[in-house]
Amino acid sequence: MKTRDALDRAALVLGVVSMVSALFVFVHGNYQLVQIRAAGLVVALVLGLLAVVAGLLEERALTLATGVAFLLAAVVQLGLLVGSGSGLLGGNASTFSLWLGLGVGLVAIGTVPRPEPTEETSQGTA
Amino acid sequence: MAGTDVAAVTDYAADIVPVLPSRMNRAVIAVVRIGVGLLWLQNVGWKIPPDFGRGDPPSGLYLSVSHAVTSEVFHPYARLVERLVLPNFTFFGWMVLLLEASLGAFLLIGLATRLWAVIGVAQTVVIMLSVLNAPHEWLWSYVLMLLVHLALFATAAGRYAGLDGLLRTYWQHSRSLWARWLVRVS
Repeated sequence: MKTRDALDRAALVLGVVSMVSALFVFVHGNYQLVQIRAAGLVVALVLGLLAVVAGLLEERALTLATGVAFLLAAVVQLGLLVGSGSGLLGGNASTFSLWLGLGVGLVAIGTVPRPEPTEETSQGTA
Repeated sequence: MAGTDVAAVTDYAADIVPVLPSRMNRAVIAVVRIGVGLLWLQNVGWKIPPDFGRGDPPSGLYLSVSHAVTSEVFHPYARLVERLVLPNFTFFGWMVLLLEASLGAFLLIGLATRLWAVIGVAQTVVIMLSVLNAPHEWLWSYVLMLLVHLALFATAAGRYAGLDGLLRTYWQHSRSLWARWLVRVS
């Protein structure tokens, strides 16, 4: 049975982290680790789901694409902060930080070359 | 030749023996790393551009940094803040935001962890020099911050449930300068 590569599992975990971060839409005050609101909720859920799917299907290209999408979302969030507001994505600098981490992590995983498949050796029965 | 062989064996042993051999200890240090990452991640949230609290009355990051002058800790640093940082606060505010957001991001995923642990130590010292004598501050909270970053550095915390642990093998087998650098900072 083929076991999932540790890097694909890591992509899956990063996707789960993003989807769990969507729960902070319900949390306010001291316990709100990251500000997720408005379209940011869609980013967290959709890109998180894509990372999970990429991990499950062991699709490094999808992992890389999802990482790039997270980085783009982080840059857009940062740009919206320049305009002195949460803007369309509804986040703040903590949202930027989270998406930066998820993006860099997924890109790092997605750019690791897969090892060349090795030929299976038949075990002789002497 | 024998000396070389011994050195090679010793290097090999150093490579394969983990810093933290116990599974429980590795889990604990991973939790600590993630916790410290979340500390930075949450606290970058109150650094609000574009003015970062510069106004009348001052608030947020501007108020926090101005304590370096009004409640001086170290005279040369206070003069530096007064003459360079506060007059150019938009620039320094953005630098703090980007630095602390990156600290949260990289410590959370455990990538280049030893480098970011050292940067965390440096940023903690800067914060200490600003707010240590401000009202209602607790010295030990900052000392603890300093010590926990040193612990992350000493234990190479990204190698446990972090990307450093997964990617080091690839970096070690790569000939690129970038990969060699990542091996050193992970």
